[in-house]
Amino acid sequence: MSTTVMHEEHRGAMWEVTTRVIVYAAIGAALYGVAAVFSFLIPGTANVSVRPAFALVTFFGFAFGPIVGLFTGFVGNAIADQISGWGLLTSWNWSLANGFAGLLAGVFGVSLARMFPNRIILAAIAAALAVVIGFLFVFTDIWLGTADDVSVAFSANYLPVITTNLIAAVILTPILVAAWDPIRRSMGR
Amino acid sequence: MNIAPRYLGRGSWLARRDPRVLLISLAFFVFTVIQVWDPRILVGLALIAALYYRSAGIPFRAVRIQWAYVLFFISFVVIMNTLITGGELRGTTEDQLHIFFRLPLINTPISAESVTYAVVQYMRFLSMAAVGLPIAYAIAPGDIGPAFARLGVPYKFAYGLELTFRFVPSLAADMQTTIDAQRLRGYEWEKRGRTPIGKVTRTIPLLTPVTINAIVGAEDTIDAMDLRGFGTQRRTWLRQLAFDPTDRVVVVGFGILLAAVTALSFSGLTQLWVPSQLIDLAG
Repeated sequence: MSTTVMHEEHRGAMWEVTTRVIVYAAIGAALYGVAAVFSFLIPGTANVSVRPAFALVTFFGFAFGPIVGLFTGFVGNAIADQISGWGLLTSWNWSLANGFAGLLAGVFGVSLARMFPNRIILAAIAAALAVVIGFLFVFTDIWLGTADDVSVAFSANYLPVITTNLIAAVILTPILVAAWDPIRRSMGR
Repeated sequence: MNIAPRYLGRGSWLARRDPRVLLISLAFFVFTVIQVWDPRILVGLALIAALYYRSAGIPFRAVRIQWAYVLFFISFVVIMNTLITGGELRGTTEDQLHIFFRLPLINTPISAESVTYAVVQYMRFLSMAAVGLPIAYAIAPGDIGPAFARLGVPYKFAYGLELTFRFVPSLAADMQTTIDAQRLRGYEWEKRGRTPIGKVTRTIPLLTPVTINAIVGAEDTIDAMDLRGFGTQRRTWLRQLAFDPTDRVVVVGFGILLAAVTALSFSGLTQLWVPSQLIDLAG
């Protein structure tokens, strides 16, 4: 089978909803919801916190496909919000932004695979692009009234979230991929 | 580490409702509240939210940390909006403001409008949190999947949601076990790195084993589901859900509320309204 045919098959398979996809998505969302309690403020900022668990969203998207990434980000963030008391749907647009980041990590993981054959570098690049593009959705805060205008949405919402999530995703996603890939190969997945 | 939502509202009026009522009511209420900036309407909505929350019978002692988080987060939203926009809120310019005083150093005006805006933000978010919180504490854990499935979510994803809620307590326990195991090896979560990057890398000994263990352990669940034919055809749920007359009244009530507020919003009657007493105070 030629590389091109295999690549096209991989692209088609990434949108399939199998038992494996559902279970990995549920594991990812539950892990994100649980691990999100570990966050800390960046010194010298008003309320910019790093949430290392965010890397789980990009990792699950990259390793198991865009549907798993979307579910992990969207449901995981909603559960983390619910556990913290903020409410399942109070910041539904932020949950969707997390979901889009996970979805894009899966899409970029496949579409950029030829350009970056090294999986570790590919994971870092896919995670970074996914964060920068996926979180553009938080500008909907202007419509929802959480941010009063574009400058607030950019400086109080978008910029802090992509800074902190980039730190977490670019460092931790490749590490998780490096830990998972040998196990995946040994399991024959 | 026990972070799994508990069924605190068991037996309450709201917990006796069909779980879809709680999900639909929240969705209707969130889209109602986000359209409103008039504190006079928001008082009514806050009252409805308070009554709804009270009907869930959730003891305050058990959720006071959650409420503290909500207050902290709203305060952050309000402060950031006031500081970054320089008091020019919801399309108003500085010459339209009724200013009380200016903040030292940054010169941001504190006006009748910005004070009203802050109060409105508190009312909006507290109301949404009050209607949202019962979902975690007043829905029986086994009802999550059937509720989403009956709301039209494809059954595979509805089952995924059910699985997620089931995994939360066991993964929280795994996380605690890993923290304890790593502590025995000299790892101290509390001693974090100095820089943000250092702080993130300090989580590697925690996140990596918990994640990989969870994924490897998921194979058993996948095999069990495959052996039972999951995904081969549409499945039914053991738990049957049905609206009773009270459920219908609640859902229709929230629906009417959304329709009424949407109509008011299109008529321009939900804009920020500033009490004349506050304007008079500014002189």
